[in-house]
Amino acid sequence: MRTPIAYFVVLSAILFSLGTLGVLLRKNALLIFMSIELQLNAVNLSLVAFSRMHNELDGQVLAFFSMVVAAAEVVVGLAIIVAVYRRRQTIDVDQARELRW
Amino acid sequence: MVGSTFPPGSAIEGTFGLGTQLDMLWLVPALPLLGAVINLFAGRRLGKAAGWLGTLLVAASFVVAALAVQSLLGHPGQERLFVQHLFDWISVGSFSVGADLRLDAVSATMILVVTGVGSLIHLYSIGYMAEDPRFARFFAYLNLFVFFMLMLVLGANYLVLYLGWEGVGLCSYLLIGFWFDKTVNANAAKKAFITTRIGDTAMLIGLAFIVWRFGTLDFESVFGAAGATLTQGAATAIALLLFGGAVGKSAQVPLHVWLPDAMAGPTPVSALIHAATMVTAGVYLVVRSAPIFELSDIALPVVLVIGLVTTLYAGTAALGQTDIKRVLAYSTISQLGYMFMAVGMRAYAAAMFMLVAHAFYKALLFLGSGSVIHGMHEEQDMRRMGGLLRRMPVTGSTFIVGAVALAGVPPLAGFFAKDQILELANHTGRPAVWILGTIGALLSAMYIGRLVFLTFFGRPRSEAAERAHESAPLMTMPLLLLAVGAALAGALNLTPEGSLAHFLEPVVGEVPHGEGLAAWALSTIGGVIALVGLALTWLVYASGRVDQTALEARVDPLPRTLLNGWYVDSAYEKGLVAPAKAGAHLLASVVDAKGVDGLVNAVGGGVRWLAGAGRLLQTGFVRSYALAFFVGAIAVLAWVGVRL
Repeated sequence: MRTPIAYFVVLSAILFSLGTLGVLLRKNALLIFMSIELQLNAVNLSLVAFSRMHNELDGQVLAFFSMVVAAAEVVVGLAIIVAVYRRRQTIDVDQARELRW
Repeated sequence: MVGSTFPPGSAIEGTFGLGTQLDMLWLVPALPLLGAVINLFAGRRLGKAAGWLGTLLVAASFVVAALAVQSLLGHPGQERLFVQHLFDWISVGSFSVGADLRLDAVSATMILVVTGVGSLIHLYSIGYMAEDPRFARFFAYLNLFVFFMLMLVLGANYLVLYLGWEGVGLCSYLLIGFWFDKTVNANAAKKAFITTRIGDTAMLIGLAFIVWRFGTLDFESVFGAAGATLTQGAATAIALLLFGGAVGKSAQVPLHVWLPDAMAGPTPVSALIHAATMVTAGVYLVVRSAPIFELSDIALPVVLVIGLVTTLYAGTAALGQTDIKRVLAYSTISQLGYMFMAVGMRAYAAAMFMLVAHAFYKALLFLGSGSVIHGMHEEQDMRRMGGLLRRMPVTGSTFIVGAVALAGVPPLAGFFAKDQILELANHTGRPAVWILGTIGALLSAMYIGRLVFLTFFGRPRSEAAERAHESAPLMTMPLLLLAVGAALAGALNLTPEGSLAHFLEPVVGEVPHGEGLAAWALSTIGGVIALVGLALTWLVYASGRVDQTALEARVDPLPRTLLNGWYVDSAYEKGLVAPAKAGAHLLASVVDAKGVDGLVNAVGGGVRWLAGAGRLLQTGFVRSYALAFFVGAIAVLAWVGVRL
């Protein structure tokens, strides 16, 4: 017997909310980054779950795409974080606010 | 009607080349142009040869012109028209204008005067400008002027005429301001250019009018179709617009103010451009356009009145001048007024005769005054001269010949010219014109008598006058030749068959005839008037019996008024220039600075204010941006959800 789809969706929603809260509340760039990854994975989870529910592979393919894009994004994001750290010895995003009026 | 056109097909056949004397017509303007180009680009290397080159080319142009006219004379009167097509100039749709030269009696007269008097003035300039560092440049401009003047009078359509018209204006500007390092000269040049431009603009509108009505600018086509095409109003409009150009170029009231100031230029320029040739272009234009002027009831009377007013105005103003060249300048304006009077009475041949005679004696007077100024070391004030006849015998005696010719003493040129015009006024039932014209003749005898007696007679009134010396033969030779011309030009009118009037008749028609006082009586009056004028001035300025200072004090403030030309300049300054400047200032400092700039600044300020308000959203806090994304995403989702 299959696990009901609702379980996956609820889990995905919980993960996504956790990720969102992390992005909004954390000051450490690395932790914000990790939270973004959490959001992405929450979405991947629901994609795979829905794919299985419909017995089609589209959702799983899309999940792979999203993982690849996330990996690329990690490369760029981490590089920026490293660069910011080298420049100002901190990765507190509230300190990096030159781009404003 | 007078001012007839030639029947189609009656023109003399000819081509563009060197075949016959007429075929070489194009060389007449081309030779001075060649001189201008050479002197402009290689003049500095030529040194003194630049002057000789310029002179010889204009003289060669005179020879070619004389040959062409001789060939023209070989044909019967009604066939004396030769049109030479050089190239198509403008061709747009059905409208086309060719670079065409036209030789007929009128242009033949003009080219002989321009090149003949012109080459003498060139010769004189070699001596007069010898010390000038920009010697070659002077001759380049002078040659260029002759080229444009020849294009003006040889053009077979209004566009070629207009090319020459503007060209001579340009050369006039360049030559008045030849010594432009003096502010006065530079300003005089600008004044001349701008004042004549007022007239030129009217003329250009007139030309546009002609194109609109006729679809062509060619003289033969326009005059041939004028009677059938033009209404009374259109003819008046075109004629008066063209006359506007003539008023500016020929320095008639009210656009005369530039000519006295133009005396700032070198004296040969005054002689060539501002006495003998360019200023007579206005007369030429009206004579040439006579078929249009005659269609209007108003145009020719306007010409007559302007001429008359100008004659009297300038004649009186000339009496009050102290600068020798300014006397001659006002005299020129006054004499041009006579020519326009003649034109206004349909006596085109009389106007042309006066033009030729005037070219001789006025060029002579100007060159003589240049010789005086040279001998006096650049002194132009007649009050500092005196007794120069003994020190400058050739200049003095030739000048007196010119002066007597101008005054109208028989049998010199001026007498015949003026006599013919005044006789006509009497015979055509215009007693007022006759009386005022005679007063004008008295005035001209008086101002020129005053000039002669102040300059050449009495005692020297300054050290420079005592030490004055005769000019070099290079300068006195043209004076002698011109004196012969001034004395004998009257012969052009002696016999009816050989007269200039007879020569011009196929183009401009007969001089009108009428009844009035007997011709001999009128001539006697004219001669007596001239002698009375000269005698009066002799009494005041040379006899030593009249205290000039006391006389001037008694008629105060007349001398000052005349010296300032009836204050027309100051009136223009106060009435036109000052308001124009005030208006410009108003536009610049209020309308432009506050209005136009204000609007632009308001747009800029508004954008700045909006941006200032909007930039407050940019906090720089990454997390508030993330919150905005989140809220935005929720909002989109909510919207999609509601829609579903």
